[in-house]
Amino acid sequence: MKTSKSTVVFIGVVFFLGMFVQPVFAVKGPIEMMKPVLTKLTGLLNDPNLQGDVHRDERRQKIMETIKSGFDFHEMCKRVLGRTWRDIDDEQREHFTKSMTKFLENAYIGKLEDYHYKKIEYVGETIRDDRAVVTTMVEKGNVKLPVRYVLQLTPQGWMVYDINIEGLTLVKNYREQFRSILLKDSFTGLLKIIEDKNKSMEKNGKGS
Amino acid sequence: MKKILSLIMLLALFFMRGSAWAAQKNNAGAVDDLLNFDYMDDGKNPAGSQVYDPLEPLNRVFFTFNDKLYFWVEKPVVEGYSAVIPSDLRKCFSNFFDNISSPITFLNDVLQGRFSDAGTVVSRFVINSTLGVFGFGDTAKDAFNITTKSADFGQTLGVWGLGEGVYICWPVFGPSNMRDTVGLAADLSTHPTNFMDLTTTERIGYFGTNRINSDSLHPIYEELVKYSFDPYVAARQAFHEYRQAKIDRYRNTKPPKNK
Repeated sequence: MKTSKSTVVFIGVVFFLGMFVQPVFAVKGPIEMMKPVLTKLTGLLNDPNLQGDVHRDERRQKIMETIKSGFDFHEMCKRVLGRTWRDIDDEQREHFTKSMTKFLENAYIGKLEDYHYKKIEYVGETIRDDRAVVTTMVEKGNVKLPVRYVLQLTPQGWMVYDINIEGLTLVKNYREQFRSILLKDSFTGLLKIIEDKNKSMEKNGKGS
Repeated sequence: MKKILSLIMLLALFFMRGSAWAAQKNNAGAVDDLLNFDYMDDGKNPAGSQVYDPLEPLNRVFFTFNDKLYFWVEKPVVEGYSAVIPSDLRKCFSNFFDNISSPITFLNDVLQGRFSDAGTVVSRFVINSTLGVFGFGDTAKDAFNITTKSADFGQTLGVWGLGEGVYICWPVFGPSNMRDTVGLAADLSTHPTNFMDLTTTERIGYFGTNRINSDSLHPIYEELVKYSFDPYVAARQAFHEYRQAKIDRYRNTKPPKNK
């Protein structure tokens, strides 16, 4: 009788502790999550075997794969559309996410390739509930630029949904533009604008 | 001139919206804003914009005008200028223009309570005007690693707690708002070129060259057009956030007490 009672207490304590212990091991902190992604990205951008137009497609594919391991494009696209996201069906959401991801890829990989990240300094992280901000400093030429990543805790861990460079927030800026367009135009109209932009960027990208 | 300036100030105060006092922020303010921003909700503003822009139709006309001015006039001039003057020399000119406007930066550093920055401006001015040969070189940075952040009167007003008021896209000058327009007017009226014996043409030449030189080193407008779906809104939002970030960095840390 005495033994079984202490066994029950023991099992109870183990379960009780287990509740605290498990999440600590399961989820990496925001900086811990960001570091390998950004290190890998810097490595790809500086890899001599991937430089030049010959390796363009291979390089971009690898960069995109790396970005997607830390950046949540679905969340970005949802936020960029704001309230309108709730008014459209799953098929439209998928269509939009695909086009918008393509746009971000076209626009920003090109920009990333122009940057030569020498060193990324991790200044700190702020966590509130399921959101977090990671502040980094990036050297560009002689200047240090503050770059902040806004993250959300997802089943896959902390994932980035917005970037703030020197006070300018990427997804928020596009959200403002889309809202202004949607005041006059329909969702289908907006989709067409994005696809036209993608087409013209791809045409110009190949020419250069 | 003083009378006109104080009249503009009064008018501006009249137009300022209430957001000024409500949004007391500090250094952590930028992070707070990022954590709190609700992308799925448009908030109280019916148009949902973060920027108060009742003059949008007129502003868009001026924005289009500036766009044409850029691509038809400014860009060809910048291209010709860049072809003739190598970028090293353009950087020297940029140093020179920065050095001349040091007194304004100093004044605003003091007004914002940034005394250490004010001291840095003085050291930089002394070093660059002498060792830097009249400000063409940036010896303070290159040899002594002394750098500083810019400061202007629009920013000072923001640090003091004044809201941005109505958004204005001025012809030629571009994105601004009531607060920064007052700031720009004040900065221009205290600019050292006013105390030099210059004709109006020479003064326009000075600011024109400064602008073309700066455009040639930082071609930001074309990037903005290339990567945006509605350049007007993209510029408006970028300006708003950029200015806010510059102000938040130096705002007082104490939140207002409710009485």
